[in-house]
Amino acid sequence: MDSQPTQPQIAAQSPAREAWIMFRRNVPAVIGVILLVLIVGATLYGSLFYQGDAFSIVWAPHEPPGVTPEFPLGTDYLGRDIVAGLLTGGGPTLAVGLAAAAITMVIGVSFGALAGFYGGWVDNLLMRITEFFQVLPALLFAMVLVTLFSPSLFTIAMAIGVVSWPQTARLTRAEFMKIRELEYVTAARAIGARNRRIIWTVILPNAAPPLIVSATLTIGVAILFEAGLSFLGLGDPNVMSWGLMIGANREYILDAWWPVTFPGLAIFFTVFAVSLIGDGLNDAFNPKLRER
Amino acid sequence: MDFIYIIKRLFYGVLLMLGVVVLNFLLIRLAPGDPAVVIAGEMGGATEAMLESIREEYGLNKPVLTQLGIYVANVARFDLGQSFFFNQPVTTLIGHRIGPTILLVLTAQILAIVLGVVMGVVSARKPNGVTSAIVSVFATIGYAVPVFWTGIMLIILFASVLPVFPVEGMTSVRLRDAGLLVRTLDVLHHLVLPAFTLAIIYLAQYSRLSRASMLEVLGSDYIRTARAKGASERSVLFKHALRNAALPILTVAGLQFGNLISGALLVETVFNWPGMGRLAFDSILRRDYPTTMGVLFFASFMVVIANILTDLSYKLADPRLRGR
Amino acid sequence: MSRLLEIDDLRVTFRTRYGEVTALDSVSLHVDAGETLGIVGESGCGKSITALSVMGLIPQPPGRIAGGAIRLQGEDIVGASPARLQALRGAEVAMIFQEPMTSLNPVFTIGSQIAEAIMLHQNVGADQAFKDAIALLDRVGIPSPDRRAHDYPHQLSGGMRQRVMIAMAVSCRPKVLIADEPTTALDVTVQAQIFDLLNEIQRDFGAAIVLITHDMGAISEMADRVAVMYAGRVIEEASADDVLDFPQHPYARGLIDCIPALGRPDHRLAEIPGVVPPLHLLGAGCAFAQRCAHRNDRCDREKPSLVNHGRHPVACHGAEESRL
Repeated sequence: MDSQPTQPQIAAQSPAREAWIMFRRNVPAVIGVILLVLIVGATLYGSLFYQGDAFSIVWAPHEPPGVTPEFPLGTDYLGRDIVAGLLTGGGPTLAVGLAAAAITMVIGVSFGALAGFYGGWVDNLLMRITEFFQVLPALLFAMVLVTLFSPSLFTIAMAIGVVSWPQTARLTRAEFMKIRELEYVTAARAIGARNRRIIWTVILPNAAPPLIVSATLTIGVAILFEAGLSFLGLGDPNVMSWGLMIGANREYILDAWWPVTFPGLAIFFTVFAVSLIGDGLNDAFNPKLRER
Repeated sequence: MDFIYIIKRLFYGVLLMLGVVVLNFLLIRLAPGDPAVVIAGEMGGATEAMLESIREEYGLNKPVLTQLGIYVANVARFDLGQSFFFNQPVTTLIGHRIGPTILLVLTAQILAIVLGVVMGVVSARKPNGVTSAIVSVFATIGYAVPVFWTGIMLIILFASVLPVFPVEGMTSVRLRDAGLLVRTLDVLHHLVLPAFTLAIIYLAQYSRLSRASMLEVLGSDYIRTARAKGASERSVLFKHALRNAALPILTVAGLQFGNLISGALLVETVFNWPGMGRLAFDSILRRDYPTTMGVLFFASFMVVIANILTDLSYKLADPRLRGR
Repeated sequence: MSRLLEIDDLRVTFRTRYGEVTALDSVSLHVDAGETLGIVGESGCGKSITALSVMGLIPQPPGRIAGGAIRLQGEDIVGASPARLQALRGAEVAMIFQEPMTSLNPVFTIGSQIAEAIMLHQNVGADQAFKDAIALLDRVGIPSPDRRAHDYPHQLSGGMRQRVMIAMAVSCRPKVLIADEPTTALDVTVQAQIFDLLNEIQRDFGAAIVLITHDMGAISEMADRVAVMYAGRVIEEASADDVLDFPQHPYARGLIDCIPALGRPDHRLAEIPGVVPPLHLLGAGCAFAQRCAHRNDRCDREKPSLVNHGRHPVACHGAEESRL
């Protein structure tokens, strides 16, 4: 036997690669990815295989699902095809969700990074602003913004971003405050790196894992948000969306359950897929929690 | 309890509310179009005399800072203007609606915390067990369901299939002249579905959070100490662990309050619950901005108060923060 | 006559990601009333696992007592019911932990934490228990104990907290007191005070003490008898003087060379090269062989067992062959 005990083979791997390996082994996360790919694929390419316009009245109203082969999920209160609505309505919902999450992350990370990195009065000022935005009930504030600036996909995404960033800011700030004190940041300072360089190339990459998880979950929240606004009739009236389908048909739920049920399921599965992925990423980035 | 701390906290709360008032003012000014028209909310349909009286009341002919001063002074007297759609002072309108909203929000919050903590504790006891898995799945599902859709599904279920709970409003017309007890029970009966609908999202979050929090606390040294002195498993779990695990739950409960009000807005709309959310929805659809801004003000006010209460109870619950 | 505490051929395994590893392997120890047994070794050698086994606090799973017996006054507690273990813990056998900073529950006063231990095992009311707690605080040298009893752990220094831990541990006059590195986290001056206190407590209460430490200095001050542990096994056992003056095992010698000697400034502190091998990599031979200067082929092939080769029991082929 050798004088050195053989170490268990741990090949040198980058943290991102190791996280990816962990993620791939996580069954719920993989289910989430598959689900999301199916949903996105259907909204992007569904119209190639299924002709139909979401707004046109094509049949008698309230045709139940499974009765007429041309309209497998039936028709709504006006006689519009529900499958066509689901396929066209997904695009705007997903687009607004993504855009709103991006806006949320940009505002939140900027605020949190500056506050956490500089501390002192900068931190104080930025955190007071953050707290102020947390006091405003998000959906209500978003409703006000959307009505004041008239609803379009852009204003809706902006409004959701403007009301959702405080949590991201807090998370980013906490990460920055933690990492700021670590040796490699001191080392970067010691070799004369400028603040901006330290923020972008030293701290941000190391704060990335929790922020990526948070960004993923934010997409889910933003989708729910968009659905809520559309449901209330504050979406873009010229664009079909899942929330709008539910809102438009809600007066008739006791006559026909299907026009509200299917869009709701579509929203649910989308957000469910996104949060499975978010949880998977969280587990992949936190080896400590995995041991449990 | 530290008196100066409470004063400071209240002062800070007043500052935040002042911020909300200024924001309201700015939003009306920033909206495209003549502010008088915006306030009248009639989109070109308002008479010139009506617009003139609005300009007079809000001082819209005066410099912007004077306008702001007038607006702040009015709000300080709890005068949030006149709703032209409902033809009532906004404060009166909200006064009638705030009670049902508080009832709904608090019931949902308590329901979510109690059930969520129980689920979290149960699943933390055996983190790899079946119950734990069920709770995790439930938490992920509860988080992903749109709250208004849950409400609609429950209405479909309880209106036709299982008619044991009323699916609309807060009171039954036929019981209007009944005794106080009967009417109270009637309100509670109406409350079941809306409160449960609203609670589901937060139930998911609290169960997740308390599971994580309990797992962390159960691994700490003082839990080992409690076991070492011979405390029963029940006492370890509910006395030693839960008291500590409750601290992060309390923080989140405070932070969630604003979201809870957002959720209430949707739930009230679905169930026709006569609260502020329903009022906000109606006023926004009618472009009745004074009312909308009034709801925004009072909703923020509720959040500020909830935050102060959370802070104080946190200090009570965690001896390490006392006297600081 | 049966021993007060007797550990007989104890084997404890843990499930890890490398498979099942043996944390304790054929460990046999005993301690009598009024006696102090020191268990020494580096971290990871199994000292703390031994202590937790006696307390019945091995987390199962992933841990498992795979064989052997732990007899407390003749009663085997391996496989005893949870209720029986609960009754024994704190009453018959108590434990002081390494980390006084985190071993007390932060949300309860120290008085109530001691009183809880008393009430768990003695038939007294809350008021009497709290009075007893104050008396115990006085006994362990806490100044103005009646006021301090209402303090929370964070208001006390590390040394004070460890005194509180000791008060709690001795509150029910246990027969066996296990002290797991009770002074590691404390200042040197406070260490001496805590050792004095433990000695006094032992005189007063007549308890047997099991002192777990990596510090040979603490052993020389406190212990009557010493067991040296390495990689989950006892490798040398004798009276404290015997081990300190005539260590047999190369590892024990190494530990003793690590004690700084007073008044000998030229004395170079020795160190033992290498580290304790991870448990899952233990081979067939002597676990210390990798780090041993006197190793030969037999050491790599065959595990030495604990046998008396003249002075006292030691597990070393080198000692057996007198080639050290």
